[in-house]
Amino acid sequence: MPTEARSSGWGFAVPRRAVVGLATVGGALLLWWLATSGLRLLNPLRLPSPQEVWAAFSQISTGQGYGGATLWQHALHSLWLVAKGFAVAVATGIPLGLLMGWSRRAEALINPIFLLLRPIPALAWIPLAIVWFGLGDTGKVFVIWLTAFVPSVINAFTGVRGVDPVLIAAARTQGASTAQVIRHVVVPGAMPMIFTGLRLSLQASWTTLVAAELVGAFFGLGRVLNVAGQDIFPGMILVGMAAVAACGAATTWLLGRAERRVVNWRPAV
Amino acid sequence: MSEIVFEGVTRRFPLPRGGEFLAIDRIDLRIEEREFVAIVGPSGCGKTTLMRMAAGLDFPTDGRVLVGGKEVTGPGPERAVVFQQFALLPWKTVRENIGFGLMCKRTPKAEADAAIARYVELMGLSGHEDSFPHQLSGGMQQRVAIARAYVMQPAALLMDEPFGALDAQTRIVMQEELVRLARRNPRTVIFITHAVDEAIYLADRVVVMGRNPGRIIETIDIRPLREDGGWEAMPIEEVMDTPAFTHMRSRIWKLLKAREQERPAAPAPIPATVPAK
Amino acid sequence: MAKRRDRNFLGPAGTSLGLGEFWALTAAGFVLFFAVWGGVAASGWLPPNLLPSPLAVWDTLVRLWNQPFAGHVYAEHLSASIQRFLMGWAIAVGIGVPLGLLMGWYRLLDEIVTPLFDAMRFVAPLAWVPLAALWFGTGIGGPLLIIFVGSFAPCVISAYRGARLVETRLVEAAQTLGASSRQVMLHVLIPGALPSIIAGLRVSAGLGWQSLVGSELIVVGAGLGYLMVQGQGNLNTTVVIAGMVGIGVVGFAIDVLLRAVEAAFKRKWGQA
Repeated sequence: MPTEARSSGWGFAVPRRAVVGLATVGGALLLWWLATSGLRLLNPLRLPSPQEVWAAFSQISTGQGYGGATLWQHALHSLWLVAKGFAVAVATGIPLGLLMGWSRRAEALINPIFLLLRPIPALAWIPLAIVWFGLGDTGKVFVIWLTAFVPSVINAFTGVRGVDPVLIAAARTQGASTAQVIRHVVVPGAMPMIFTGLRLSLQASWTTLVAAELVGAFFGLGRVLNVAGQDIFPGMILVGMAAVAACGAATTWLLGRAERRVVNWRPAV
Repeated sequence: MSEIVFEGVTRRFPLPRGGEFLAIDRIDLRIEEREFVAIVGPSGCGKTTLMRMAAGLDFPTDGRVLVGGKEVTGPGPERAVVFQQFALLPWKTVRENIGFGLMCKRTPKAEADAAIARYVELMGLSGHEDSFPHQLSGGMQQRVAIARAYVMQPAALLMDEPFGALDAQTRIVMQEELVRLARRNPRTVIFITHAVDEAIYLADRVVVMGRNPGRIIETIDIRPLREDGGWEAMPIEEVMDTPAFTHMRSRIWKLLKAREQERPAAPAPIPATVPAK
Repeated sequence: MAKRRDRNFLGPAGTSLGLGEFWALTAAGFVLFFAVWGGVAASGWLPPNLLPSPLAVWDTLVRLWNQPFAGHVYAEHLSASIQRFLMGWAIAVGIGVPLGLLMGWYRLLDEIVTPLFDAMRFVAPLAWVPLAALWFGTGIGGPLLIIFVGSFAPCVISAYRGARLVETRLVEAAQTLGASSRQVMLHVLIPGALPSIIAGLRVSAGLGWQSLVGSELIVVGAGLGYLMVQGQGNLNTTVVIAGMVGIGVVGFAIDVLLRAVEAAFKRKWGQA
C-alpha cells in the first residue's frame, strides 16, 4: 500500500497514515473522557472514566494489589502458564505433524484421532480439565497445550506436504541421506507454515487461558477480571482487559522476532 | 568409465482412472564417455523421464539403464543433475547451496571451501556467496545450480531444460558459458531441451524424439558440422547464421513435424510425480 | 529390475498408499482411539468419575435426550446454544463485512478504523466477559457480545482483503463499458471480494462458536456450555463429555456447511 508522505513543515516527511491514526486514537480518547467525565453522558458503572481506570491501575500495581496479588504478579503468572503450555504443544505437536507429513501411513493412522478431536474447541475442555486437575495450574497448562497442539500438528503437516518435491529430488541426487533430507530440506521448508500455525495458536492460547482463569483460578489476569466483575468495579475490568491485550501483544511480538530469526531467508513481504 | 547406456528401456505410468500410459517405448541409446548428447522433442515425449532414469530418480518398467557398466539403482553424486526449476534450497545461501553435496559426503571443510570458491569464481558468482537464492536473478540462480553440479566432480551431468526458465538474452549468455565450461571440464552430458537451436549449438549428437509413445526418431551427429564450420571460434549468433546451422535446424524441425502429423499429442498427461509402483 | 529405492525416497509426494492400505490404517486409527479410551476406562486405573467409558457417555447422551439436566433436555440446550451463536455471528457478519468492504474502498475510513482495530486486536474475546455482563447482563446480550467480539475480526479482515484484491483493471474495464458507480459496486467490487469473504466467514464462524462455548461456561443459564459446567459441579464426568460431543458435532457441522458453500463458489467462478 502506498504510504505517501506529506511535508510536516519541520523539514521531514510524516506519513499520512500516521497522522490520521494518531488523530483517531487521540479523538477516541477525548471522546471517552468527554462522555464519562467531561460531560458525564454515561453512567460510570457502565463505562468508567480515564481517571477511574488510572486509579484502578494504581491500586492494583502497588501494595496489596487486587484479587490477591499485584498486576505484575498476576500477569507473570498468566504469561508463565501460556509459555509452559505453548512450549509443550510445540515440542509434541511439531514432531507429530512432521511425521504425519512425511509418512502417508502415519497420516492415515493418526488422522482419525484428529477428525474426532479437532471440532471440539479447546475451551470446551475446561470443565473436564477442572474435573481432572482441579483449579490449579496443571489444568490450565493442559488446556493451553490442547489449544496450541492441534494447529502445530496441522501446520507442520501442511508445511511438509508443501515442500517442493524437486528440492527433495535435488538433495537426493547430491547424495543426501533421509536424515539429511529431513534436516536440510523438509524441516526448513515447513518452517514458514509452522510459524503461521504458532501465531494463530498463540492468540487462541490467551483466549483459552482467560476463559480458564475466569471459570476458576487463584491468580492470573482472568482472576483479576473475575473478581472485578463480581465487585462491579468497571475501572479494574478495563485494567484487566488492557493487561491481557498487552501480554498478548508482547508474546506475539516475541514470536515474530523468533520467526524472523529462524525464517531469515525469505523476501520481506 | 561413465558411458550411459539405455538398453530396451520402456516406462509405463499407471493412469489415475486405471490403465497405463506408455511414456517411453523400447529405447536403445548409448552415450559415450565425455560425449555431450542433447535430446530434443515435444513435451510428453519422455525425454525428461529418460534423464530421470539416468539420474536414478525413476526406473524403467522394462529394460536397463547402465552408467559405467553398472545398473542404476538410485541417485549418486557421480551423476549430477541440473533441474529446470533450479531447485536451490531457498533457506541456504549460495555458498551453502553449492556446498550441499560436499556436506552430505562429509568432505573436510577446508577442502570443501576451496572447491566452492573455485566454482564461485568460475561461474561468475563472486560477491554473491552469502546471498539467498531469492536475491538473485534467474540466470544467477541457474549458475549456482550448475556450480553445485560441477563441484561434485561428477563423471556425468544430467541437465533437464536448464535454461527453459530463463529469458532469451540470459539464455544465450548461459549457452556460451556452458560451452566454455564443457570444453574445460569435459563430462558425459545428457542435455534435455525442446529448443532445437540450443541442441545443435551445444551438443556432439542430437537425439530427436517423438511422442505417443516416446521413441527415438533419429540421432544426428553434429561434430562434423562444428569442425568443418569452425564453430568453436565463433560467437553464438554467428554460428546460428551459418547455412549449415540453419539447414540442420530445418531438417530437425521437419523430422519433429512429420512425426507430429503422423501421431497427434498423447491423450494422457505425464504424471508430475513418480508413483510408488 | 533395479533395486527398489526405500519408501519416501522422494518424500511424501513421491509415494502413494493403496486404497486398501489407507482404509485399513484409517480404521485402525479409529479403533485405536476408542480402544485406548475404553481400555483405560475399563482398567480401573482411573476412577470412573474421572474417565467414564465411551459406552457410559453414549448412555448418558441417550438419557439426557429424554430427561432434563440443568433444567432442560439435551435438545433444548443444543438449540439454545445454536440460536445464541447464530444471532451473535449474524451481527458480526452484518456489521463486519460491510465495514471491511468500505474500509477497502475508502482510504480515509481505513486509516481511521485500522488504528482502533489494532488497539483492540489483542484483547482476547473472553476478556470481554465481565464488561459484557456489566453492559448487557448475563441473559442474552452478554453472551451475544462475546460471540460478536470473537467472530468480528475475521469478517472485517477478509472483506477488507477481498475489496483490496479486486483488480483495478476490472473496475476500469467496467467503467469503459459505461457502468455507473452503483453498477461497478454491484457487478464488480462485491463479486470480486466474495471469495475472500466466504473464506473469512468460515474462520469467523469457528471462532464465534468457540467464543459461545467460552461464554456459556461463565455466564448463562442454558446451553451446552452451561450443561457441562453443571456436570462438572456435580462431578458428573459423563455429562461433561456428552456436552463436548454436542459441541464437537455442531462445530463440525458448521465447518462442513461453510466449506460446501466455499467449494460451490469456487466451482462456479473457477479457482478463487
